Amino acid sequence: MKINILKYKLITSFIIALLFSFNGFAQEEDASNYRMRFKFKTVKQPDNSRLLEVSFIGQNKKDRKDKVPVFDAEIKFYNEANLLGTAKTSKEGIAQLTVPENHNYTTDEDEYINFIAKFEGSDGLDEEEDEIHVKNLYLELNLEEIDSVKTVLVKAFTIDSLGVEIPLEEADIVISVNGMISKMKLEEGTIEDGEFEFEFPTDIPGDANGDIIVYSIISDNDDFGNIIQQKSINWGTFKTASIEEGNKLWSEAAPIWMYIVLTILLVGVWANYVYTAVNLFNIKKEGKELELKKE
Amino acid sequence: MNLEKRKRELAQEFSPLLEKTTKTSKIWIGFLIAVILVGVYAFFVQLFKGHIVTGMRDNVVWGIYIINFIFFVCLSYSGAFISGVLHFFKTPWKNSVSRIVEIITVLSLIIGPIFILLCIGRLDRLHYLFMYPRIQSPITWDIIAIMTDLIGCFIYLYLTFIPDFAILRDNSENASKWRQKVYKYLAIGYQDTPTQREKLHKITRTMSAMVIALAIVAYSVLAWIFSLTLQPGWNSSIFAPYFIIAGLYSGIGVIIIAMYLIRKYYNLEHYIRKVHFIGAGIVLLIISLLFGYFTFSEYFSRWFSHKISDANLLNTLFTRYFWMFIFANYIGVLVPLVILFFKKLRTIKSITFAAVIAVIGLWFNRYLIVVPTLETPYLPIQDTREEFIHYTATWIEWALSFAGVAAFILFFILIMKLVPVIPMSGIIDNEREQNKSKKTFKKIITE
Repeated sequence: MKINILKYKLITSFIIALLFSFNGFAQEEDASNYRMRFKFKTVKQPDNSRLLEVSFIGQNKKDRKDKVPVFDAEIKFYNEANLLGTAKTSKEGIAQLTVPENHNYTTDEDEYINFIAKFEGSDGLDEEEDEIHVKNLYLELNLEEIDSVKTVLVKAFTIDSLGVEIPLEEADIVISVNGMISKMKLEEGTIEDGEFEFEFPTDIPGDANGDIIVYSIISDNDDFGNIIQQKSINWGTFKTASIEEGNKLWSEAAPIWMYIVLTILLVGVWANYVYTAVNLFNIKKEGKELELKKE
Repeated sequence: MNLEKRKRELAQEFSPLLEKTTKTSKIWIGFLIAVILVGVYAFFVQLFKGHIVTGMRDNVVWGIYIINFIFFVCLSYSGAFISGVLHFFKTPWKNSVSRIVEIITVLSLIIGPIFILLCIGRLDRLHYLFMYPRIQSPITWDIIAIMTDLIGCFIYLYLTFIPDFAILRDNSENASKWRQKVYKYLAIGYQDTPTQREKLHKITRTMSAMVIALAIVAYSVLAWIFSLTLQPGWNSSIFAPYFIIAGLYSGIGVIIIAMYLIRKYYNLEHYIRKVHFIGAGIVLLIISLLFGYFTFSEYFSRWFSHKISDANLLNTLFTRYFWMFIFANYIGVLVPLVILFFKKLRTIKSITFAAVIAVIGLWFNRYLIVVPTLETPYLPIQDTREEFIHYTATWIEWALSFAGVAAFILFFILIMKLVPVIPMSGIIDNEREQNKSKKTFKKIITE
């Protein structure tokens, strides 16, 4: 046995080396196998604050389904050269920064705001940078009942340097309501001359109080980015499901069908017993008559 | 054929069984009475000291009493079912076994419910069940079902006894006076006239169908006492048919054992023949296959569901109750299956052995349905005392259980002292049928 082990010493040590070789798994951690996806977007939120968001994810060059989020990477957000703030990516590879409504952005001559998101690189990862140009668009959402028709009215405009409202010429818009898991799309349309009107359906249940959160959303617009506006209103038709529990542990009476079934069963059985008893009496009667005849 | 002469012959043939008591049977009866008396003593101990003298506690509130209850009641239902089928379909070899089945049916239906009374802590409140019944409660359904079934079985048994009472009334000149009086009273003037015979036959046939239906309903209600709860191991939609199959399995097993003992100790080899054992054995084989299938389905779905409560229950079954589980669900099914499957193995003794294994296995099966479930409740057991966590039957419970079995056997013997275990009327009917077919055959030839 000893000789055998010595004989195959080389092979054995190779197998052991393979068994304990953790480097075999290091391939996954090697960034060179991954293509870095650095996506930057901005969302103008209902309170008119602006969310700047970076998604920083590595995608396997061979297996596209294999995605590894970059965690704890410091992202710097700029407006032109002015640093707006920094944020670190989460476990999902997302870094977010919210800029308050009253922030004064530097704009170019066409009123475009330039945002830059920057990752300055690390030992394993290269530097990444992305920028977007958006105009500041104002979205007004009004929910009104016009001639008893529940109507969603959206107004979209920009404000020039003189403070004059300029209606938005054309943009795609989506009207949604808040659902349990995600937003439910109600209508997809186009804002024309700064306005959009939509008749709200009458069969949306809403929450337990009948409240519905309505959203108007412009997404991935080349000039304005993402803009969301929302409002809550009591337009829901929610009705509490009134299921009457007829049979409770403490109910004095059983459900009526139980009485019916039990009665049918018992009457059927006992009728047969009575029928048997009657026949037995007849047999007895005949027996007595025969006895009397014999006597 | 001279009917009166034949009746007299049969009455003479069976009279030693009814009137003479051997020394061995006297000792045996004495032993049974002694066992019953020990049971009566145990009952009084339980009555005065309460359920503390039993192994039942807060968690395991049902012990071997309820197991005996299910066992006996299922035995009765299966007896009723088999007897009804034998009568209704006019099975050719029914005559030799029908009375054994009928006696088993009625006796087990009397003994079984006594065990449920032993489970009740406050017997003084028993009448509340009748005063304040809740129609929506399975317990109420069970009470109604058992009482209705008991009355139905009594009527049915009595109907099958009437022709024999009449034969004994007319041919028991040498019997004691009380016996003559009893026979006369119970025979209700039956003279075996064509109209009387037709009437009796008609109502017996209707009652046999009724008894089959009643047995199915009562079986299901008994199963629902368990399956309508949410307890792991009980809450199952197949429990009612499973109970029917299990009941039939034990019922046929007990019938085979009774046939063997009666044949041996009453020298009735001429009437209870090998063909009867093989017939009953084949029925046992079919039922064992069905029982095995239902048992597998029941445990397999529990195992596959991966519910925590079910997993705990199965874990208990495969650890603490390992051997009982193996006996109940493997040996109790496979041994009868193997014995009865091969033609060469089908002898009277081996078929009886298979029946004994099946009956013991089934009693264990009942134990495994009741006790392990109660030992694995949804809420953790607060009291850490051993007797609160695990159930063990005490001598009181065993004494009462054996007393029940002893009472069953004793009453069986006593009924066999009143009427022959082989229906004389059935023998005459068979002979009458044979003569009729012979006559028809002759007529056809001469024509």
